[in-house]
Formats: sequence, C-alpha cells, structure tokens
Amino acid sequence: MALAAAAVVAGGLLSACGESGKPVLNWYINPDGQDTLTQLAADCSTDDYDIQIQLLPTGATDQRTQLARRLAASDSATNLMSLDPVFVPEFANAGWIAEWPEEWASKVVDDDVLEGPADTVRWDDGVYAAPQWANTQVLWYRKSLAEKAGLDMSQPVTWQQVIDAAAEGGGTVGVQADRYEAYMVWINSLVAGAGGDIVSDTEAGKDAQVDIDSQAGKDAAAVIQALADSDAAQPDLTVSREGTSLPFMYDDNGEFMTNWTFVYKNYEPGDGKDFTQEQFDDLGFARYPRTVEGEESRPPVGGIDVAVGAFTDDLDQGFEAATCVSNAQAQQQLAANDGLMPSRQSVYDSAELKDAFPAELLSLFQESLDAGAPRPKSAYYNLISGAIQASWHSPRSVDPDTTPADSAAYLEAVLRGEALL
Amino acid sequence: MKQKIGLVAGVTLILAWCLLPVVWIVSLSMKDAAAVTNGSPGFWPGDAFAGFDNYVTVLTEDSYSQFRRAIVNSIGISLIATTLSVILATLAAYAIARLEFKGKKLVLTTALAIAMFPVVSLVSPLFDMWRAIGLYDTWAGLIIPYMSFTLPLAIWTLSAFFREIPWEMEQAAQVDGATSWQAFRRVIVPLAAPGVFTAAILTFFFAWNDFVFGITLTSTETARPIPASLSFFVGADPFNRPASLLSAAAVIATIPIVLIVLLFQRKIVSGLTSGAVKG
Amino acid sequence: MSAVATAPGGTSAKKQQKNGRNELSDRLKAENSLGQRLVAPAVAIMLLVTAFPILRALYLSFYNYSLTSPDDREFIGISNYVTALSDGLFWRDIAMTVLYMVVTVAIELVIGFAFALVMHRIVFARGVIRTSILIPYGIITVVSGFAWQFAFTSSNGFVNGWLPFIDDGFNWFGDTTPAVIAIMVSEIWKTTPFMSLLLLAGLAQVSEDMIEAAKVDGAGWWQRLFRVVLPNMQAAIMVAVLFRALDAYRIFDNIFVMTSGAVGTESISFLVYRQTIEQFQLGMGSALSVLLFLSVLLVAFIIVKLFRVDLARARGE
Repeated sequence: MALAAAAVVAGGLLSACGESGKPVLNWYINPDGQDTLTQLAADCSTDDYDIQIQLLPTGATDQRTQLARRLAASDSATNLMSLDPVFVPEFANAGWIAEWPEEWASKVVDDDVLEGPADTVRWDDGVYAAPQWANTQVLWYRKSLAEKAGLDMSQPVTWQQVIDAAAEGGGTVGVQADRYEAYMVWINSLVAGAGGDIVSDTEAGKDAQVDIDSQAGKDAAAVIQALADSDAAQPDLTVSREGTSLPFMYDDNGEFMTNWTFVYKNYEPGDGKDFTQEQFDDLGFARYPRTVEGEESRPPVGGIDVAVGAFTDDLDQGFEAATCVSNAQAQQQLAANDGLMPSRQSVYDSAELKDAFPAELLSLFQESLDAGAPRPKSAYYNLISGAIQASWHSPRSVDPDTTPADSAAYLEAVLRGEALL
Repeated sequence: MKQKIGLVAGVTLILAWCLLPVVWIVSLSMKDAAAVTNGSPGFWPGDAFAGFDNYVTVLTEDSYSQFRRAIVNSIGISLIATTLSVILATLAAYAIARLEFKGKKLVLTTALAIAMFPVVSLVSPLFDMWRAIGLYDTWAGLIIPYMSFTLPLAIWTLSAFFREIPWEMEQAAQVDGATSWQAFRRVIVPLAAPGVFTAAILTFFFAWNDFVFGITLTSTETARPIPASLSFFVGADPFNRPASLLSAAAVIATIPIVLIVLLFQRKIVSGLTSGAVKG
Repeated sequence: MSAVATAPGGTSAKKQQKNGRNELSDRLKAENSLGQRLVAPAVAIMLLVTAFPILRALYLSFYNYSLTSPDDREFIGISNYVTALSDGLFWRDIAMTVLYMVVTVAIELVIGFAFALVMHRIVFARGVIRTSILIPYGIITVVSGFAWQFAFTSSNGFVNGWLPFIDDGFNWFGDTTPAVIAIMVSEIWKTTPFMSLLLLAGLAQVSEDMIEAAKVDGAGWWQRLFRVVLPNMQAAIMVAVLFRALDAYRIFDNIFVMTSGAVGTESISFLVYRQTIEQFQLGMGSALSVLLFLSVLLVAFIIVKLFRVDLARARGE
C-alpha cells in the first residue's frame, strides 16, 4: 500500500501545473481547428494564468462522455470546455457548468451575435457559455455532375431531385448516416424541413411531447429510404461520417454532399493538398435540399460554445479566458484558417473573411444559419438523440410506414425509463 | 516424408497466422497519412510509402503529446501493479503451496471466481467509489484494480511453481534453527525467483493490455494508459481516424511485448501451461 | 485476458511427521496463523475491487439514479430489473454475446488443436514458432482490433482485395453479419495461440505408448485421434474451454474499437458500459451489472455441468 501511495504522489506530481507556479486553465477542445485553437490559447494567456489545450476525442458523443465523467467527479481542473451546443442544457441542468454573471454574459451575448448561436447558450433564463463559432450545412456538389444530370442548381432543390440527379449522372450522394450524432442532425433537419419536429415542450424534461410519429416524420423517412434504395447511395452509407464522403467529390463523376462549412477549406488547393485549381473551380454549393417540394429547407446548425467548469476555483478567470477565445478576432482566425464560421455578424462583414470566402458562400452560410433547425433543447437531449439514432439506424432499414411510429414509441419508453438505450 | 511436408506446411501456416496482422500493421504504419485519408487500399504501402514519417509525427508532434504521456503512464502503472501484485501473490502462493491453514480452499475459490469476474460490471460502482475517495483519474486508481485482477493469475502460476521446488532444503534450513519465515526468505525465494519472474511477465501483459479500466477510470492524460489513448487518436482530419498514425502508435505499443516475448518465450510458455493439466 | 488455469497447491504441505503432540499442535497453530497472514493482503486487494463494488451495484440497482440529475434519485424497487429483463435489447445482446462465445471458442478449439498437433511434432524452429505464437497472445487487444478493422475497411484495407468473391468496395461494418465476422476474426486471431499452448501442454500428457499400441492394433490416424488422444487430454481441453469461454463471454474491447456496438454487434458487456459510462444511468447500469455478473456465473455453471469439468481435479486437489 505504501508503494501504491507513492504512485499516487508520483502521478500527481507529473501532472502538476506549469512553470513558475502560474495557474493553468485547462481548456478541453474538440479536434476541429486544433492549430488555431492552440494559438488562441497562447494569445489569451495572461500574466495571471496560462491556458492549456486538452484534446477531446472525435465525435460529439465521446466528447460529452469525457467531459461529463470529469465534471461528475467535481473536477476543479476542468476550467474551460468547448461544448457542442446540444449538450449545454444537460450540463447546465446537472450543475456542471457555471452560469455567467451579467457583466460577463453581456460581453459574449450582445447584439452582434447571431440569434441562432446566441440561443444555444441560454438555459433557464441564464447564459451558460460563450458562442465561439457557428456551423451549418450546405449542399456541396460537383458542378459538372449537376450539369450532366441537367439539374438546375440556381433554384431550390429537393432531396429527391438530388438523389435522382446523382444516380442519373453516375455520381453519389454523401450524407452522415453512421449511428452517431450527425445522423441525428440529418434526421432533425429532414423532419424540420417537412414542417415538423422530433419532440416539443422539451422544458418538461422527461415529459416532453414526442412528435416524430407524424407526416413530417414519414416524409423524412421517405428521403432516407429513397437514398438507401438508390444507386446514388455511397457504399459505406450505413457508416458514413463527415470525413468518409469527402473523397467521392473528385472520384469518377463526383457527388452531391450535405456537409459542414469546413468543406470549402478542405478542397481549396494549398500546401500539402492534392486538389487542383481546376477541380476546385468545379466545386459548387447551394442551400440545403428541401425535404418536400414547396417547403423551405431547414439546414442543420451546430458549432461550439465555450463553457466554464462549475467546480473551478476562480470562475472570473474562466469567464475572462472564455470571452477572449471566443471574441471577434478569435472567430475571424477560426474562419479564415479552418473554415469554422463565426457566430458574430461583424466577423462576416470583415475584410479577412471576404478575402477567404466568396461573397455568395458567406451569404449562403448566414442564410442557412438563420433558417437553421436547431436540435431539441433538452436536459435529456442525450436520451432523445440516442433513441432516435437507435431506431433509425441502419438507414437501409428505414421505412416511412414503420420507422417514425416505432421510434416515437421507443423514445417515449426511453424517456420514461422503461426501455434500455 | 509426407509427414514432413505436412509439418512444414503447418509451420508456415502458423507463422502466417501469427505474423500476418503484425506485418500488416507495420506496413500500414508506413503509409503516407494524407494518402490514407483519401483511401489507399492494399497490403503494402506501394506509392504511398512514407518510411518512418508517421513514427516521427507520433513521437515528436505536440498534438500527440497525450500518446507519449500514455506510454509513460502505461509503463509506470503496469510495472508498479506487476511488482505489488507479484509480491502479494508470492506470499499467498507460498502459504497455499506449503502451509496448512484454515480457509485455504476459500482463497483458491475466491481467486478462481475473480479470474472469471465480468470486469465491466465493476466499472460503474468503481467509478463512483473512486470519485468519492479521490482515486479517479490517478495511477493508483488503475494500479489497484490491475492488482486485483492479476492476483489470481499470479497466485495460481506461482503456487504451481512452488510445488516443484525441492522443499527438503527448507526443512534443512529449519533443522539448522531457522524459523519458517527465515527459511522462506533465505532458501525459497532464490529458488522461486524464476517462477516469480514468469508470473511477473504474465501480470505485466494483463496490465499492459487492459482497456476497460483504462477508459472508464481515467479522463485525462494524467493516468490514461496506451490502449485508451489509442482509442482517442485524432488526426489532421477530425472526422476520420488517422489509420497510419494510429498504426505507428500501435506498433510502438507492441514493441515492449515483442521484446519480452523474444527474451523470455520459454518462461512465458511454461508459465501459461504450468499445471494447466495435472502433472 | 483472463487468468490461466493452473493447478497449484494440491500436493502441498502434508503435515510433516513430528514427534510429540504439543510440539505438533503448536507448530500447526503457528503454521495456520502464518498462512492466514500471508494470504490476507492478496485476499483483501482482490475483494476490495470486486466484492464491495458488486454489493454497491446491488444497492444502487434498486434506484432510479442518473448522474446528470443526481437530485432526482429515488428508490424504485426491482423496476430496473423488470425493465431490463422485459427489454428486447437486453436479450438480443445476451444472444449476441453467446454467439460470440460459442463461435469463437469452437473455432479456436479446432485451429488451436491443429496448431498444437504441429507444434507437438516439430523438432525444428521451435523457438521461432514459440515466439511468433506468443505475439498475438501478448499484443494489446485494442491494437488487434484496430489492425483488423483497418484490414477490413474498403478504403485502406487489404481483405477485400485478397478475397476473390468480395467486391472491392464491400463495407464490412455496414451490416450485422459481416461486422460480427470481422470482430470474431480479431478475437480468434488474438486468442487462438493461448488455446493452442494449453492444448499443447495437454498433448504432452498423452502417453506415446498408448498411441503406438493403437497403431499396432491397426487404428488409423483419425481413430487414434478420437479414441486415444482426445479422451486422454480431456481435462486440458475442458480447462481451456472453460477459461476461454468465460473470457469470450466478456467480449468488449474489440467491439468498442471496431464498431462501437453499431449494427447490432453489441455484447452484454458493451450494453453495461453504455448505460453506466455513456448514459450515466447508474441505477439501471448497476442492475445490468448485477445481471451480467449472474449470467457469468450461470455460463460457468452450465459449462462445468455440460462438460463435467472436474474443477477439483483442475485445481489439483
């Protein structure tokens, strides 16, 4: 036992704080834009503290698990954390992240912040995080493929049109349909695009109203079924993620792909990338496809909010640091370097962004954020998302006649604690 | 002659079976990381050959410092757990092999039951307990469960070894006036050392391999061991697992195993099989 | 990896013949107390991490207790058990786990035995074989999982290219059957060496004279195998099967790495992990932990009964 005790001490010492006894604020980040975030951490370190990056795993669910495990253990060394907006209510409800006092809150949620992202950090009349960047999906496509199939991309398109066009032109349609959070993102946008929602009255927690067994749910299921049955489905449809459909863009005839804003920077020719200017010129973008004819599409929205751990010793340092890493300048760097779009209007208007992105793309991003369909805002979001993923996966088994009804029954049972997830 | 050909074929088959995936992961670790992101099927790297680039990346770049820290954690935790476990097991195995005492059967049954214990069913209460007493995400928080689950293995292996020791020498020492304890320490320990060493290797393998405790009882690089660290590997493209970098890290994690196997294969085999059959 | 079936202790310490009753009883007392003191620390550590937590799990299993809303914790009796046992997912995961166990152990037994036969006969390259066969045994399961996962992927793997009847773009992790096959391959690859070493040790126990005698009697190779060799190494086979089966029943690492439980590949261990560590449903997770524990006991019991494994003999008593 003495040796074991010695080991604890050794383990503790190894992780002790940085040079010169300055306190270290640990900032848990998700891997997107890692280099820029590292730079931001250095820039926002002050004479009073150093901000140190701690990397979270890939995937929203794993990130949540990691953070929640630390916070459930009342960890005082979790100072800052990058949170997927959908987990803000859960973390706030559990008392894991600190509520921002008015003096700080007014700095991170002011008039300059777009309404969509601003809403993600509010819970129970309080502000619980600082919006850092806002993500949305658009329809990326190979112009030559759309031309070949004769699809007019200047007009709003429906999913059915996109699927048919891809099949006709010998191309594919890239989506995210693995059993993970981004599949929930897709389903949520499809349902919202048909004028419905998955759940409502989410303030009621476990007693929320489950709405997915509806015409909108059926319309959404029909889209997924149509893609799964089409030749345009990518071979790895059932495990497709954001990254897996990227190579299809310049493979053979190319693809249509709904994906986040980072895609533009991904294909932009530059150091260490294989893409040519000619290929890049062939890359088109358009508003997220409609679920049903005649109804506006509701693109997915996401992004990252920076929250402050509730168990840290000096909350004010945390608020200050979180404010710094999410200010306009920080957002500009994230957008220009990594294609992670700002949550502040002024940044969209800045010269740097106008240099980095075509004007039409910037306005498309803003339009998409405004029209976006947020995912349910619930302290039990994790259960909702998990239940939907479970009953809608695999996409090949989705059937409009059964899947929405089955998933509604299952989700209700899960919320009541009567079914295993 | 026919039999000889069959044997050669069999040997070839065994070698292929054992080494093919190892060669594969080494080969994959030498594929260029960017080529892997865009897809590069095939067993050999071919055009995508990148030499030891991935190893350099994993071992030097800042973004992989968590993996390098995990190597330190894994070595430290595994060695400490092995040492403590083998010390306790040696005492227990000596008692079981040599002494008559009440509850011996109970000890053996407990050990057997724990060897069969479903580790996952412990993670929830252990997580809760460790949180409460501050062992969560520490080296000790992993060392203790590793000890618990390697003790049965170590006790069984060691008592099998101890049965083979010529105990007359201990009796001789006792006749010369030594107590049981002195006889144990002066005479038996040196004789038992090879067995202890074997038990230590098997214990080390277990600790090095553990994944369930590694991911559930840690949450930062403070104590996260290699297997858990591997499952969190992130590449330049945040949406895909960086297969070739991960392979390079996996190969690095396998080197200690290969070294131990090369140096001590005879001991390991005898330890694994000692007394598996009565005799 | 699980522990290994070793057979300690049995022939130990037959009380030495001593003259004089008092001396004997004093000596026995001292021996008794020394023995208990020597095993005490090991027993304490073993129980600290098993007995106490499983009792705590039993206690928590009667509560509705989620870590994300700790204030709502309430006593709900056996509701968690009722929910779990009447849930399709629970039984599907149990069935899947049994499938993993039966298939992998059966295949390992056959391949492991073939390997053991080869190793038993060879006189050359013994060191090389021994070294190579220990590498899968010693390799980290997670590494094995990754190696095979990458091997099976269409984007970077080689399996699709090597198998003539498989399309190059085939997605092994898109459906239950191929994904389960991939997981089993990784599991079997890693653990067959262990099986073959145990069987090799058993093979060494079979007397050559008996085999020769059978040969003289005109028994063919297969007859000798089934009539002489196998019956005489029954104990070794049973111990190997028991330990490997219980190990396989707890399958977790490979599933975590290769599919994260998607497309119906989840095992019962994985379900417990998800409930407790991902969902923070400590109440339900504890109930499932208890059920997992009981099911392992049941599996052990069935195997012992089914194959009539003489544990006492295996333990060398």
